[in-house]
Amino acid sequence: MFRINNDQTSALLWFALGSIVAIVSLRYSLGTLDSPGTGFMPFLAGLAISLFSMIGLVHSTLKLKKGEGWKPVMKGLTWKKSLIALGALFAYALLLKPLGFFLCTALFIGFLLRAVQPQSWLIVAAGAILTAIGAYGIFEIWLQAQLPKGPWGF
Amino acid sequence: MDFFNSMILGFQIALQPNNLLFCFIGVLIGTLVGVLPGLGPVAAISLLLPTTFHVTPVSAIIMLAGIYYGAMYGGSTTSILVNIPGEAASVVTCLDGYQMARQGRAGPALGIAAFGSFIAGSLGIVGLMFIAPPLAKMALKFGPPEYFSLMIMGLTILTFLASGPMWKALLMAAFGLFLGCVGMDSMTGAPRFTFDILELSDGVGLVPVVMGLFGISEVLLNVEQTMERSIFETKIKNLLPTLKDWGESIWPILRGTVIGFFLGVLPGGGAVISSFVSYAVEKKVSRHPERFGTGAIQGVAGPESANNAATGGAFIPLLTLGIPANAVMAILLGAMMIHGMQPGPMLLKQNPDLFWGAVTSMYLGNVMLLVLNLPLIGLWVKILKVPYPILFPLILLFCLIGAYSLNNSIVEVLIMIFLGLIGYLFKKFKYEAAPLVLALVLGPLLEAALRRSLLLSAGDPLIFITRPISAVLMLVSFFLLVFPLLPRLGKKRAGLPQREGED
Repeated sequence: MFRINNDQTSALLWFALGSIVAIVSLRYSLGTLDSPGTGFMPFLAGLAISLFSMIGLVHSTLKLKKGEGWKPVMKGLTWKKSLIALGALFAYALLLKPLGFFLCTALFIGFLLRAVQPQSWLIVAAGAILTAIGAYGIFEIWLQAQLPKGPWGF
Repeated sequence: MDFFNSMILGFQIALQPNNLLFCFIGVLIGTLVGVLPGLGPVAAISLLLPTTFHVTPVSAIIMLAGIYYGAMYGGSTTSILVNIPGEAASVVTCLDGYQMARQGRAGPALGIAAFGSFIAGSLGIVGLMFIAPPLAKMALKFGPPEYFSLMIMGLTILTFLASGPMWKALLMAAFGLFLGCVGMDSMTGAPRFTFDILELSDGVGLVPVVMGLFGISEVLLNVEQTMERSIFETKIKNLLPTLKDWGESIWPILRGTVIGFFLGVLPGGGAVISSFVSYAVEKKVSRHPERFGTGAIQGVAGPESANNAATGGAFIPLLTLGIPANAVMAILLGAMMIHGMQPGPMLLKQNPDLFWGAVTSMYLGNVMLLVLNLPLIGLWVKILKVPYPILFPLILLFCLIGAYSLNNSIVEVLIMIFLGLIGYLFKKFKYEAAPLVLALVLGPLLEAALRRSLLLSAGDPLIFITRPISAVLMLVSFFLLVFPLLPRLGKKRAGLPQREGED
């Protein structure tokens, strides 16, 4: 049966990334040793990534031979909660400008309070509104950060 | 300017009402993040970095430094009362601190941790004041090859001390160097890896990267676990240690101060390692090593002093050479650059107000911390009881606002979220993010030093080993790189008290 462990997987991904970085760097000028060009440093970084990932691949293959196989990284964890939080973060980034800071923040906090580890509706509503008001007061009014305004002007 | 004039200048700046306020805010937030498990000084400084854009550079650095050493104080509270380290440098405090609490001696444990931190923190600052100016003078003799070699040594030490296999830490450093290359080439102005995204022409921002890697990823990891905290329910009394406690603790405090300070100075060293080393030393010199782990006050006094002294030491390479010793200092370096200053040997000459203002503010900050940590201990215990499901949306919101307010750009927010996901995967696959952050900050400086050195030597790479200072630094780096390859020595590295992230 084909077996692969965690470090082998990640080392292979790193090797691919390092190779891409080194190859793309060639498109920029590498220059010469007495006058290194724009692509010189990223090329070296790409090479280093590839080299260290190869060392990692050898190291992890030796470990596989000693019996260190794949270890599930999500076992026993409620990973759906992190997925919900990640989804909420992306949604916030995409809705911030169309909805405006205040409404977007209230919805974001309310959603997380209810969806990740459900709180009572009272806590959800109070938490969402008070956080939005507090954050608006601190960042928009006190620190004068220019937060996006929705169609309602806040 | 002589030493006393410099001190007076420093106090004049640190005692200005706005700087006092920012110092207080810094140590207060630092204590808070130290107390709260799952949020460390790296994440807190990254989160608060954007809020300093509206204040003067001196106030900004005073506040950010306050968060760092404040977190070292706060971390002990959680270790002693909950048996969960508030931040990584307080891991060893759990061993004896929690046992003391179980024996009804939570008060003396918290008291000696606070007093030890105060003494060590203050002595560390004295060391910083005496060592930094002559070192800065010496650093003026450094040319591009010496700087290049020094930065390589800093990165190598950090990767050497990182937890897990060294190839993983080296990979992270190389990836950080690559991220540091993204954006406009500082010498030719040509764009690299920008994919026509305007926001990337200035490079990958430090703030979205550290917020993503340390803030977002930490929350994503925490929410998928059920975080049950059982606070040791006991009446906290006798915060002032007795004469017997002092007698048993004074030498561990002084030894911890020396260990912490010198390990803090080393690039790659820092609070985490120094607390482990201090604990090991105390156990070794004790006449009753068997008492360690069962509630020995020396096991609290030594490490807590060491991690605070390390914070003073860590400022030395940053302020004199412009080289950050750890991830927190890397963010502070970024903060200083954002505020238009270049940390390094010229800082003392060009911005004496910042240097001496920041250093003397640490004295005041230490006094504030003593006041905050002892009489207000009940408040910190109450905060410890705030459930994580209510806390984490606020942390995420802070990250989002922080990333957005950098340049009012959604792209930076998306970069932060993406790095948060990457950081989450790094932790799942056991990659430490600290070398990446250090390499990202050092990347542009390292590239400039490398290219200038090669220009200087007409393309001869031997310049790095023909100049004596550079050669010594390179030799140290080389030794550290081959060290793990030698079977007997490699085992010794595995046995070192390695950092499980300074976050």
